[in-house]
Amino acid sequence: MKTETDFQLKVIAFCCKWCSSAAADLAGTSRMKMLPNFTIIPTMCSSRVDPELILKAFERGAWGVLVAGCHPGDCHYQNGNYKTQRRIFLLRKLLSDFGIEPDRLRLEWISASEGAKFAQVVNEFIERVDELGPLKD
Amino acid sequence: MAERIGVFVCKCGPNIGDRIDVDSVVAEAEGIEDVVTAKSHNLLCSEDGIRFLQEEIRKGGLTRVVIAACTPKQYEQKFMRACEGVGLNPYLLQMTNIREQCAWVTPDPAQATAKAKSLVRAATMRATLQEPIEKKEIEIHPDVLVVGSGVAGLEATLTLAQKGRKVYLLEKSPCIGGLGARFEEVYQTMECAPCMLAPELQEVLQKENIEAITYGELEGVVGSYGNFTVKIRRKARYVSEEACIGCSACFEPCPVEVSNEFDEGLSKRKAIYIPFAGALPNVPVIDEANCIKLKGGECNACQEACPFDAIDFDDQDRIEEKRVGAIILATGSTQFNPSSLAQYGYGRFDNVLTGLELERLNASNGPTGGKILLKDGREPRSVAFVYCVGRKEKGHCSGICCMYSVKLAHLLKEKIPGVEVYSFYTDLCLPKKEHQRLYEEVVEKGVEFIRSNGSERVSRDGKGLVVEYKADSTSKSLAVDMVVLAPAIEPNPDTAKLAAILDIPLDERGFFSEEHPLMKSFGTPLEGVFIAGCCQGPKDIGDAVAQGGAAAGRILSRLIPGEKLELEPIVAVIDEEICGGCNTCISICPYSAISRDEEKKVAVVDDTLCRGCGTCVAACPTGAARAKHFTNEEIFAEIREVVR
Repeated sequence: MKTETDFQLKVIAFCCKWCSSAAADLAGTSRMKMLPNFTIIPTMCSSRVDPELILKAFERGAWGVLVAGCHPGDCHYQNGNYKTQRRIFLLRKLLSDFGIEPDRLRLEWISASEGAKFAQVVNEFIERVDELGPLKD
Repeated sequence: MAERIGVFVCKCGPNIGDRIDVDSVVAEAEGIEDVVTAKSHNLLCSEDGIRFLQEEIRKGGLTRVVIAACTPKQYEQKFMRACEGVGLNPYLLQMTNIREQCAWVTPDPAQATAKAKSLVRAATMRATLQEPIEKKEIEIHPDVLVVGSGVAGLEATLTLAQKGRKVYLLEKSPCIGGLGARFEEVYQTMECAPCMLAPELQEVLQKENIEAITYGELEGVVGSYGNFTVKIRRKARYVSEEACIGCSACFEPCPVEVSNEFDEGLSKRKAIYIPFAGALPNVPVIDEANCIKLKGGECNACQEACPFDAIDFDDQDRIEEKRVGAIILATGSTQFNPSSLAQYGYGRFDNVLTGLELERLNASNGPTGGKILLKDGREPRSVAFVYCVGRKEKGHCSGICCMYSVKLAHLLKEKIPGVEVYSFYTDLCLPKKEHQRLYEEVVEKGVEFIRSNGSERVSRDGKGLVVEYKADSTSKSLAVDMVVLAPAIEPNPDTAKLAAILDIPLDERGFFSEEHPLMKSFGTPLEGVFIAGCCQGPKDIGDAVAQGGAAAGRILSRLIPGEKLELEPIVAVIDEEICGGCNTCISICPYSAISRDEEKKVAVVDDTLCRGCGTCVAACPTGAARAKHFTNEEIFAEIREVVR
């Protein structure tokens, strides 16, 4: 598998500071095995993730973008994650207009205790974008 | 001037050192533009590590620091303090996590090392763009406004006042004490509630630093945490609180009689009245809607009877402004009105009561002096309780109805020897450590519990009542003298009005919405505004008191006289040159922290309210909103380095 041998495949994971970053830490503390192709960029809340940031990541050549936040109802900023959900829903619809497969953008709710889920989501997502291959110019 | 960046890679003993080729990560860092020093350390978080870091910052004249180590959740604060200690603004530090999200999850050391290099590059590029952020502190007013004088408000008031705080205790009704003051005995100790509350009420009225404002309402609030200005309406009482000594000489001669809302309409009161015997402060009030004189008629009966010239028909509402640093809302709840559910016959049949009405009949300061009587003056020989009235309609379990119904059943058995008591229930909710005990006692005493799953219908049969119900799939009926309903608890009618005044959210049931249901049930999304007691949701006295104390404690620990209030440094800012004045950010800010400057036609962030989530930044169509420490440029720089 290509991901094993080179670093072309890059996935950006925007994680909120509260739940999903903590889940990523827990995946590490629990010594989950993860593919190396993801990089976490933390934000205070998933609602900070401007569609512009996501498009910038694709423009620079990211194969996929994961946005992870707290579960609905658990947002540390009242309801930021609902706003994220609406934005990602719309952006996924628009992505095909840019020639980008919607599957390259994924939104997940991952709580601080879900280290295993974090690892599983990231690994699955990397495998999925590996199937899709690099972005077409 | 070029930045002088220092990159420090922590080996974390073997945790990073054995899995990542740290030397090659350091070598990579050395090659990055503006990096003047790149070094590794065996354990940066150790005392030696901190000394090393500080020495390197000093020696190298570093203007930016990148630390590649563990999760920032663990030691970022410590490293920030280390930077601050040698004069480097702590927000010029950037940490990148090469342990949890790299060394520990990447089995292949070569791949882990490559990833660590990429992370260090990204963090370094980001650090170059980071800006110093100064801590913001504001002057504060230490005084506090507590709205509502039930058990939650009392606890909050006394906790604050005992620490010397000036507290304005605002109460809508003419007396303090809330619902609790109207109960005779309370679950589960059967303690007399007026006795339990009396010392607290006395203390509230006598303590110099508490100003109890009864018969008053909150009309407006401006400002933010530390500096609110509140507008209070003191309604005209027509009786001077200074002159009146509470001798009650004025009641007797008053010719007007109306239903007494403080006895759930079960007794009459005069147009000049105190709500119930023993109500505090012991100063009557004239009800202007019913007083003959105030309605323009001829009557001076109370004025003539008063030996102290305390009656003042010219009294007027007064608006007062107070400056406070924080506000606690403890405005309580009310009962769902069961007359909208026809099957129970409430409001149509005599002797169908609510739990609160039975509480008043049982209270020695109530309409019957504590005798539980039917409308015709006889003692009931049989009583049926119906639980969960309106639970389905309101959509929540009120959590206290089982308790008080069990308590009232117990009191009936005590007061009326031989009375038959039946309890129709769906579920029993008696969860606390002592709450089962009384239930077991009443079962022992012969109170019959019938699981009827909400099938009850009440009808009249001659002078008596009949409860028809289904149990074990069979339709049955039971003749009783009295039916006592346990209606759901719902928010006070004022809740929505107060939420609008304060700009705080309500939950789907109309109670004030808490900041976090478990961790901060006494907070609201608006900094400096707290909630306690049943205005947050139905609860028993113990829980209400605990919330009142918690809210007061938060205020005492953060709003300290003579000290400034430190604000969240990572906030949003709006560039007024770019802002198009579209108001999008105003509409989506979860903390109402953004307002419109009408003169400049732009949005402005209030630093005292903003918590830095960045929602507005993502929503801003012009790019005028920036999130400090999480700017687009900083995040773009990270993306650029990661995806190379």
